[in-house]
Amino acid sequence: MPWELLEGSVTGVGKTHSQDSCAARPAADGGALVLAVADGHGAAAHFRSDLGARWAVEEFTQSAEVFAREAVRLGSDVSKWPILRAHVRSLPQQFVHRWRERALLHESNAPSDGATSARSLKELEKRLPVYGSTLVGAVVTARLLACWQLGDGDIVLLDDTGAAQAPLSTGPDIGDETDSICQREAWRAVRTHWLPFTGRPPRGVLLSTDGLSKSFAERSGFLQFAEEVGAMVAEQGAAHVRSRLTGWLEQAARHSGDDTTLVGAFAAPVPPAPPATTTPTSPATWED
Amino acid sequence: MSEIPGGRMASRPLHFIWLLDCSGSMSINGKIGELNFAIREAIPEMQQAARDNPAASLVVRAITFASGADWHIAEPTPVEQFTWDDVHTYGGTDMGAAFRLAAAELRTPPMPERALRPVLAVVSDGQPTDDWRSGLREIDATPWGKRAVRVAIAIGDDADRSMLKEFLGNPELEPILAKNPKQLVAAIRWASTVAVKNASTPTVEGDKHPTSPLSSTDQDEDVW
Repeated sequence: MPWELLEGSVTGVGKTHSQDSCAARPAADGGALVLAVADGHGAAAHFRSDLGARWAVEEFTQSAEVFAREAVRLGSDVSKWPILRAHVRSLPQQFVHRWRERALLHESNAPSDGATSARSLKELEKRLPVYGSTLVGAVVTARLLACWQLGDGDIVLLDDTGAAQAPLSTGPDIGDETDSICQREAWRAVRTHWLPFTGRPPRGVLLSTDGLSKSFAERSGFLQFAEEVGAMVAEQGAAHVRSRLTGWLEQAARHSGDDTTLVGAFAAPVPPAPPATTTPTSPATWED
Repeated sequence: MSEIPGGRMASRPLHFIWLLDCSGSMSINGKIGELNFAIREAIPEMQQAARDNPAASLVVRAITFASGADWHIAEPTPVEQFTWDDVHTYGGTDMGAAFRLAAAELRTPPMPERALRPVLAVVSDGQPTDDWRSGLREIDATPWGKRAVRVAIAIGDDADRSMLKEFLGNPELEPILAKNPKQLVAAIRWASTVAVKNASTPTVEGDKHPTSPLSSTDQDEDVW
């Protein structure tokens, strides 16, 4: 696998436990990566949001792994991209539905309000905010990248020069208001980004909960963080960055006060090629 | 531990604005004196709430309203440096003027885009004597005003609680009713601390907001 993975998470200052959850793992027999972070809303109104965040990551990754297999199987055939694009669009309904079913079952079996009598579906649905969470996810193959975002958090892509861009950013987030997987028809609030690699693929992909970006005084400082981490992975190796990641996230959490989670995938440095007799036709460094 | 890559890090500012009724009726039965006492008493707890929440840089200001409205403390003051100079009564109940003063500060700029939700805490014992609705509309028209954590403390039975409920902007919320000095101290303390904590948690559509802090077992005699 020519990708290096990063994964780190810390609990917010003064909090008893983290309400973030994350995953970063290979899929499709190593032909793809699935990345996800989720940020449970916390506070008394969402006191089971640690569960909600965990389920959001688990249900997203299950749905995303199916997509990843399809993307690996069809991704090299440009004529099949519309099929994959449709799959990207339909994925939010899948994982939101699965999350909802799971939360309703849990609420029915273990009522969050201590109710002892049977409750209607409508009554159970009213309790879903207790489990509220955001979700940011991505699938990366050698041919394409797909991203999904529900609520706050960040996806940063590092292009082939290492420059950062945030394709799903909606601008300044005034007042910490967020969409949530617990809201009615939450799948409608999912933003998607689809990037077939017609040129050089991104050098890296970073997903984080909002605790990280909100710790920086300026948005540009956060994007600079992504670029510098990407450069550090390229120059000093992923192990070097991994050994420092928790310390960095702890620094961030002291400023944001929030649980802070980051996962990332970076193109592994390609060893110098032997002297070539012909010019390669594709400059891509990511492989199936 | 190595320094985190990227730009400068900083806590986010949390702006807390008191809007205090200094109408002539506040001088009856010592209400204004009790209000000054209650705010002064709440400062250490407000400072502790800020220390407990290092992600928020709490800054405090105060507006008084009577015949017109004025900034009693105009400069956003870090809570650790916050001290209280007594306010005094001087006329009517021009709450609308106070709302307009606050609204001007809730635009961006002067408010930064990066901040926690501000807290607007109104304390009043009477009926507004000016066009408070237009002032409230000005607050609601600002990006931060419509997202603000709002707290209303009604002192005594003569306070216009329906108007204060409208200020709160949530049909599930009621103003806190303080009918004696002990209840006023509890209400001010609560507004100073719980509302600060509330401002630094994310909001999702349908979230509840702060509820009343007063115990129903409070046996002190009602004096207002």
